[in-house]
Amino acid sequence: MSVPYAAAHRLGKAFYGKTVLEDVSFSVEPGDIVGVLGKNGAGKTTLLELMLGFTPPSGGNVELFGHASYRLPGAAKARLGFVPQQDELVNQLTAADQIGVIASFYPRWDDELVTRLAREWEVDLSERIKGMSVGQRQKLSILLALGHRPDLLILDEPVASLDPVARRQFLEQIINVAADGARSVVFSSHIVSDVERLANKIWIVKDHRLYWQGDFDALKDSIVRLHVRAPRGLPDTLPIPNALSVQRDGATATVVVRDWSAELYGETAEELGVELEVEPLTLEDIFLELHR
Amino acid sequence: MFILKPHSGVPIYRQLSEQIRRMAASGQLQPGTELPSIRDLAIQHAINPMTVSKVYSLLEAEGVLERHRGKPMTIAKLARAQSPLGKRVQQLEPHLEQLVLAARQLELDEADVTKALRSTWEKTDERSLRRRTPAR
Repeated sequence: MSVPYAAAHRLGKAFYGKTVLEDVSFSVEPGDIVGVLGKNGAGKTTLLELMLGFTPPSGGNVELFGHASYRLPGAAKARLGFVPQQDELVNQLTAADQIGVIASFYPRWDDELVTRLAREWEVDLSERIKGMSVGQRQKLSILLALGHRPDLLILDEPVASLDPVARRQFLEQIINVAADGARSVVFSSHIVSDVERLANKIWIVKDHRLYWQGDFDALKDSIVRLHVRAPRGLPDTLPIPNALSVQRDGATATVVVRDWSAELYGETAEELGVELEVEPLTLEDIFLELHR
Repeated sequence: MFILKPHSGVPIYRQLSEQIRRMAASGQLQPGTELPSIRDLAIQHAINPMTVSKVYSLLEAEGVLERHRGKPMTIAKLARAQSPLGKRVQQLEPHLEQLVLAARQLELDEADVTKALRSTWEKTDERSLRRRTPAR
């Protein structure tokens, strides 16, 4: 079996005795596009920084390409690309100079790709970084992370400042990276609709843990809204298994459940003498339901 | 060619596979019709390429699509009977890899996993039997 591009086992991080993340285990396989969701301050950035080896774990471990990320050998570093939340561009340089500096670190630098994308994304290479808008800086940061054709691309809120056109262009590049099934992307975003389009795996960071992780399709099949109708009136209590929320309204109720299965809820409906209608939820709904 | 709504709540793979199945069954997509490449379809709809690849593999196993080396997938000429055993086992490969990985992370050995698999197998067997029992 091939080594996963990234794998964590019981990973944890505390700053000055305060737990930021605990008991996080995951793996990222070639071709995966992982969408990382979580409220502000949930620990997404810490999780990505642990993956990148910017900070040592307080517990457990995380490996990239089979090496501890905190002590990543040079050859493995060359396979990694990242876009930090705060860009690390040098104000005094022009975009072209900044690209030159980064390119010099990588033997595999794809000048043609970077030049072509800069043109398509309307990044003026002769412009000094100091004078660029936040959106332009973000595009340049993404270009810099793509230039050496990394096998694993990690992006922390890469599209927060991009307009919808630029965001779509960015999505296309992510698809291009992952399309041959040999390279992977992990990205955090508050733009849930982008995650919904692209991700095949979802990580939801909540309460300092990976509260939910797995195949996106499994998530959509697992968390659903049930519309409960009772011709003979609703029972006083609704013992519906795995309910996340219950709202009653006369003879009907809506219940959001996790770990839905046709068999289990078929039996429940029969026992309670009610009719159940299943409504699939969007990722945004699911995210909101998990944070009630 | 397809209408995909990523925000509809129905998984994209299901939307796509059902549309292809229906269009093939209705003759809207004639046998031999070429489908877009995985990359093109993914970029056109801004969706995950793995989703497209999963749908193509699933429909190939069902006999709806035919794969041709180095050429586009096409709508199958004839609805085939069940695909050969080796092909079907191959479909399991990604799941098996996932299982083994998870087991290793949990520090379980082969015997533990085999035992758990057998128990789950038997449980789901019972469940599907129950489902086949006609309603009163």
